[in-house]
Amino acid sequence: MSGYDSALSIFSPDGYVFQVEYASEAVKRGTCAVGVKGKEIVVLGCEKRTTLKLQDPRITPSKICKVDNHCLLAFAGLNADARILVDKARVEAQSHKLTLEDSVSIEYLTKYVAGVQQRYTQSGGVRPFGIACLIAGFDSNDKVPKLYQTEPSGVFNAWKANAIGRSSKTVREFLEKHYEQDMSDEKTIKLTIKSLLEVVQTGAKNIEISVMKAGDANISKLTVEEIKKYVDEIEAEDEAEAEKKKPKTRA
Amino acid sequence: MNSIAQKYTHTNNNRILNEITSARDGLASTHQLELAPSIQLPPISQPTDFLRAHTDDATNPDCKIKIAHGTTTLAFRFQGGIIVAVDSRATQGNWIASQTVKKVIEINPFLLGTMAGGAADCQYWETWLGTQCRLHELREKERISVAAASKILGNLVYEYKGMGLSMGTMVCGYTKKEGPTIYYVDSDGTRLKGDLFCVGSGQTFAYGVLDSEYKWDLTIEEALYLGKRSILAATHRDAYSGGSVNLFHVAEEGWVFHGNHNVGDIFYDIKEKEKSFNNVDG
Amino acid sequence: MDIILGIRVQEGTIIAASKAATRGISILKDTDDKTRILNTHNLVAFTGESGDTVHFTEYIQANIQLHTMRENDLELSPSAVASFVRNQLATSLRSRKPYQVNVLLAGYDVKTNTPTLNWIDYLGTQTELPYGAHGYAAFYCSSLLDRHYRTDMNIDEGLKLLDDCLEELERRMPIDFKGCYIKVVDKDGVRDITK
Repeated sequence: MSGYDSALSIFSPDGYVFQVEYASEAVKRGTCAVGVKGKEIVVLGCEKRTTLKLQDPRITPSKICKVDNHCLLAFAGLNADARILVDKARVEAQSHKLTLEDSVSIEYLTKYVAGVQQRYTQSGGVRPFGIACLIAGFDSNDKVPKLYQTEPSGVFNAWKANAIGRSSKTVREFLEKHYEQDMSDEKTIKLTIKSLLEVVQTGAKNIEISVMKAGDANISKLTVEEIKKYVDEIEAEDEAEAEKKKPKTRA
Repeated sequence: MNSIAQKYTHTNNNRILNEITSARDGLASTHQLELAPSIQLPPISQPTDFLRAHTDDATNPDCKIKIAHGTTTLAFRFQGGIIVAVDSRATQGNWIASQTVKKVIEINPFLLGTMAGGAADCQYWETWLGTQCRLHELREKERISVAAASKILGNLVYEYKGMGLSMGTMVCGYTKKEGPTIYYVDSDGTRLKGDLFCVGSGQTFAYGVLDSEYKWDLTIEEALYLGKRSILAATHRDAYSGGSVNLFHVAEEGWVFHGNHNVGDIFYDIKEKEKSFNNVDG
Repeated sequence: MDIILGIRVQEGTIIAASKAATRGISILKDTDDKTRILNTHNLVAFTGESGDTVHFTEYIQANIQLHTMRENDLELSPSAVASFVRNQLATSLRSRKPYQVNVLLAGYDVKTNTPTLNWIDYLGTQTELPYGAHGYAAFYCSSLLDRHYRTDMNIDEGLKLLDDCLEELERRMPIDFKGCYIKVVDKDGVRDITK
């Protein structure tokens, strides 16, 4: 304890606000979430904790939340903190629609969420949100998929594909290696699942995927069976790949 | 109008306020306690009632403050964009205060607001709207939509509803997303999108000419003339409208001013050309 | 004088709302829609003090949409919506500046498969009715509906009855209300069937 973390709004001599750094630690301990943009869609995926034997999976809240009809938010970090932040985002989305007539743009919403997160790093008596968010969706009258990320410090960035949470570095490196421009819908979903499989060993039942397209009635959640189909496909491909490599190593 | 307003306004039967007032009256008479600190309150229970008593000449013709009310303004959408035309007379009761008022407020290079009702209210709040639009532009890196701009103004005047604001305005603009768009916003909080509006004491006279000759397919030339002619009609029949006609055309590249036309000058030219106004000699 | 009128029939609820927006002695607009969709199976039609009406209903709309988002797309039932609206109006009535808005709520309860029509006035009176109207429409149409309404009517019969009402209004009302938007709320949601 250096003393620079006892009050939130105090810098350490080398320019850190320790509470914010600790919040980032909380994010790193949260389950992984991935977002990938395709040509016409944007996919959010996340790692789902195994439900306990007596837990009811149907009413256990999801880590991918709908903020408005055209906007999804996935988070990594403290679930309870996220609930508060998501609710603030939802209220802002409706209030924006009420006062400006248009639905919020994804960038506006990201800025808002990041703004709230920033505020909690600079005021007294509060603690920063221990979450990072991936915000995905489409602006009204627009077909271009959008993907943003926010951090506990209030920083936000736009991405083609990114991961947050546990082992996000591994997943991000995987995405960097395999991401292609203008992917088809199928390919985008597959890449999302594939990248998640890097850190989720238990397969389909521990993965959650939401797919988003432009226009009305555009959000769909993949069922476990659908995800399983992709997982099996990926596993088969991996095996074939390994098979190909085998003779080489023998020779 | 005033009777309606009165019907819908509850007189202030605030018991606590009455108590404070009576307590204060009580205190004032006690000489010694006058030195004690007290809260200064205006000698009125409701600012609304005050404004109504002092500015509404419909119920009280002797009222001290006369707000400029008479006006004719119009705006319409057509094939080539939007035409905005207004007169330029400001009246305070029967007194013509000015013949050279600018009743079109240039909110920014793409948005125009018109002025009817209280000149000060329109001038101030539409300029204020300009600042809000600019802030939106800086924050969102995109020009504000006419819908959003008019809603900002609509919400603002709605907050002041029943407190004496008097405005009838058309917010006119062109954005890529919406095309040419007109919103009517007034101080009761009404906000309507439409193709054609006339606002002010001369509205009926302007509607008369405008409705009879309006077509979507008007050329810009024709549309400008129709706008000017409609205001002329109103200045001719409505005592509270007059002075000159200010003409604007709004299109994709923003608005363009099409001159100030003195009613006295154009009246006889138009009468001669159209062979109209046959009730007037000369 | 705005007209709003609602008739509940076997498979759904029909709403008619006049198209004219009048200010002073001029009709400013003849395509004014005095209804708002609250969620997939709830529609509100409104009349009252200008400014208040749109403001109030859009506020209600935003709150109901917010509820839908919060509850993971679970939508409020017609009776819940009605209670919410009533409560908002009742709260507002005791405020410094009450909303002067009267509404009709057309809804379809997807759980029990029943159409509903809720009548609510600015005082916070709420009642579920087979047919109802606000303002002058009520004076002209109540007796007509009392006479001709049957509980077992289907949508087509309901529309026929509504046409009779509108015909009567057009015949007797001293002011032109520029016709009506007609909307139906049934198991498939809200749809506009204005001719």
